[in-house]
Amino acid sequence: MSPLHNLPEETLILLLKKKNQQAFSYLYDNYADALYGVVCRIVASTEHAEEVIQDVFVKIWKHVDLFDSEKGRLYTWMINIARNTALDYRKSKGVVNEMKNQPLSNIVNTDEERDQSGSEQHTKADFIGFRNILDKLKPECRILIEMAYYEGYTQQEIAEQLDVPLGTVKTRTKAAFLQLKQLLKDYR
Amino acid sequence: MDIAAYISSGIIESYVLGLASEEEVSILNCIRKNNVEVEQAIAEAEKALEGLADIQAMAMPAALKQDIWNRLEAENLVLKDDQPDGLSTDEAISHDTVVQAPISNTEELPKRIVPARSYGWAIAASILFVLSVGANLFFYQQQKENKEMLVQANTTLDTQNATLAILQEKWSLVQNPAVKTIALKGVENKPDLHALVFWDQTSKAVYLSLEQMPAAPKGKQYQLWAMVDGQPVSAGVFPLNAKEAMASKMLDVSKAQAFAITLEDEGGKPVPTLTELCVMGSI
Repeated sequence: MSPLHNLPEETLILLLKKKNQQAFSYLYDNYADALYGVVCRIVASTEHAEEVIQDVFVKIWKHVDLFDSEKGRLYTWMINIARNTALDYRKSKGVVNEMKNQPLSNIVNTDEERDQSGSEQHTKADFIGFRNILDKLKPECRILIEMAYYEGYTQQEIAEQLDVPLGTVKTRTKAAFLQLKQLLKDYR
Repeated sequence: MDIAAYISSGIIESYVLGLASEEEVSILNCIRKNNVEVEQAIAEAEKALEGLADIQAMAMPAALKQDIWNRLEAENLVLKDDQPDGLSTDEAISHDTVVQAPISNTEELPKRIVPARSYGWAIAASILFVLSVGANLFFYQQQKENKEMLVQANTTLDTQNATLAILQEKWSLVQNPAVKTIALKGVENKPDLHALVFWDQTSKAVYLSLEQMPAAPKGKQYQLWAMVDGQPVSAGVFPLNAKEAMASKMLDVSKAQAFAITLEDEGGKPVPTLTELCVMGSI
């Protein structure tokens, strides 16, 4: 690990704006794996993920000048680029429709069960070996984060799919974050 | 708006997950600008997702680093180090990188290792520089603020010292067993007025303190009278330049049954204008 791992965000922004190789190296060494993790969980295939993560880096590189630290954190901004790029990719490949047409049970099922269903689930199985902290959340909270964060469902769609009122989606979102924060604390 | 209820409603988490509706987002953007707690709650939710990304990280295929760099170069998105980048972050980086000229040509492994090692120093130097500039600015600003605060504090201190001196002086009068304190109360049509006469029975000195009297109007002055066997005797005028709360030394009075104050023309009168009687008190 780089000794500069804990570069404060302001310094990193300054460095990135220089657009030289050391900036790239730092960005890559410190954030690539985390961003790749996000991309992989969304596009669900290593082959596609490699393609997407390259676009993610190009976008971050190109748009860092537009980043406004008043509107949020740099890391979050980069994660959102990764997420949106991956979600767009999925949409363009029609993956979303495939997923959305699947019966609810597939979404509610655990990863092991998913393993045995359709081909999409098989590619997803590529990643099951990796640590999935979300499994430690209560099922109704885990589903919510997976659907919203990794699958790009809207609030309305989640409410319909899970057959719960919109208000419940919000309360569960809150609960999911509380659990997630606790889990993260335990990990550190 | 009840901010606590807003924060616990789950809207912030929905927003961070990308679930919030357009309307919710615009409301949130409006609130976060004016509310630190909301801003903080957003940052916390974002950090939770950052933590999730950290923990769920997956190792990138090693070759991708070079592939992506090549693509950035091919798309002309890279600034060469000898090229002015418009950012005057510091000299340290550019000096260091000029020395390792062929940075962009990193096809071969050995060449890649050399700059990679030096970057550490360049970045470290640049960070130190930025930190040092930042610290200097910070301390300079702080020093300026401290100076201003010191001046302010000194002014306050002076005022308070003056007040304290006045109070101490009065206190010493009150504490002196030889001194009699006579309260002068407002007359019928001026019930709120109030003054104190400190009369030293030994030295016959008289001090007057206008506890609750309006400042004398322009051209006027308060005059103290001692009632001696039914006759008013002037004990002097209250100095114009004296602060109201101050106990001001008046003329000595050897004998009196009562004291009274009238508002007279500047300089005082030989006999009191009874219609201008303000306060009085008998011994």
